[in-house]
Amino acid sequence: MSNMLLEAKELHTYYGASHILHGIDFHIRQGEGIALMGRNGMGKTTLIKSMLGIVRPRHGRILVRGDDFTRAPTYRTVQRGIAYVPEGRGIFPNLSVRENLQMAARAGVDGQREWTFDRVMATFPRLGERINNGGWQLSGGEQQMLTIGRALMTNPDLLILDEATEGLAPLIALEIWRIVKEIRKTGIATMIVDKNHSAVTSICDRAMILVKGEVVFDGSSEQVREDPGLIQKHLGV
Amino acid sequence: MKKSLSIIHAEHRALAAMLNGLRQLVDGIAKGRIKPDFGLFRKMIAYIDKVPEKVHHPKEDQYLFARLRLRCPEAVPVIERLEAEHRIGDARIRALEAALEAYEQRGPAGFAGFQAAVVEYIDAEWRHMNAEEHEIFPLAERDLQADDWAAIDAAFLANDNPWSGPAGEYEQLFSKIVNIAPAPVGLGPG
Repeated sequence: MSNMLLEAKELHTYYGASHILHGIDFHIRQGEGIALMGRNGMGKTTLIKSMLGIVRPRHGRILVRGDDFTRAPTYRTVQRGIAYVPEGRGIFPNLSVRENLQMAARAGVDGQREWTFDRVMATFPRLGERINNGGWQLSGGEQQMLTIGRALMTNPDLLILDEATEGLAPLIALEIWRIVKEIRKTGIATMIVDKNHSAVTSICDRAMILVKGEVVFDGSSEQVREDPGLIQKHLGV
Repeated sequence: MKKSLSIIHAEHRALAAMLNGLRQLVDGIAKGRIKPDFGLFRKMIAYIDKVPEKVHHPKEDQYLFARLRLRCPEAVPVIERLEAEHRIGDARIRALEAALEAYEQRGPAGFAGFQAAVVEYIDAEWRHMNAEEHEIFPLAERDLQADDWAAIDAAFLANDNPWSGPAGEYEQLFSKIVNIAPAPVGLGPG
């Protein structure tokens, strides 16, 4: 049985007349960690949204666990064990921390319920202190913890983090990376978009670089770390 | 970048995050935006003492600097300066602790002394890290040989959690600081 979780084949996505993704091939296997890198506007978020059915690709195919999900609605895709932590977080401001978490609770694809409410509380102790506060009352860092906690409550096999540390203080960003490392150890596959290339390549085994909607590098994170020219050329750092 | 240099870089970033947090808290007190939390300051100074001073600097001295000293005469004056700074690291931490204690005992009258000690410590750390990254790293990449890197990598690769120590022994301390430091520095009440 294939251990492939999510695949994109020859994906072309447009926003109106603008051609954003130019025939992208992508895949992630169970337990794998992928750092998706590229400058702003290179198509990283569009690739994620295309694979989740939030944006419809014009050409190409999307496979979830080997099944064709190219035209599937987003809710069906995420029901197959994919959790998405979007840029901007997207918590429910009028619900309490407890409600934000409980409304997401469900068993995973194989019936697994390893990520319980209590386990999320233990992973994010600060949320326990804010349990009855409304989402709107949380700081940016707390909101990010809540978004990741809520994603874990779905007992996913793949966790997608899009700019999870954007706008957060360095200490909070480091705490998030620490927690993501712990999550990775549990075997959840992870796809991470973040500007901190050093952090993401230390967490993920594989790295992919997008330039103008095309994959210009797909290899090991170690290759990226050992070749500063690669980062300099494609990411301008 | 060599693996070990990339770990040193990551350890510097972790220290920089803690120093940045300390600086923001002190600035917040100076502007009257936040009240001092002496317990938090003690934890932050303890972290700086334990992770960079006790874990990070000795590895640089014993492996990176020792090997580079043999391979690159040009680096020796810089190495000697940096090693001297490592040697006074403990005394600088004790000075920071003393300034904090004086602040706690004297109240607001002791703040200026603590603020000055924090600023001085942070500025010195920035200069130190910059010298390592901009003067030592390029010479190391130019002159060290494969067997040097093998020995240096072996020492540094043991630490894949730069902010929590090689065996994760300071992870709880780090998390505690993040969870109690007031927002936006940490997750605590602002």
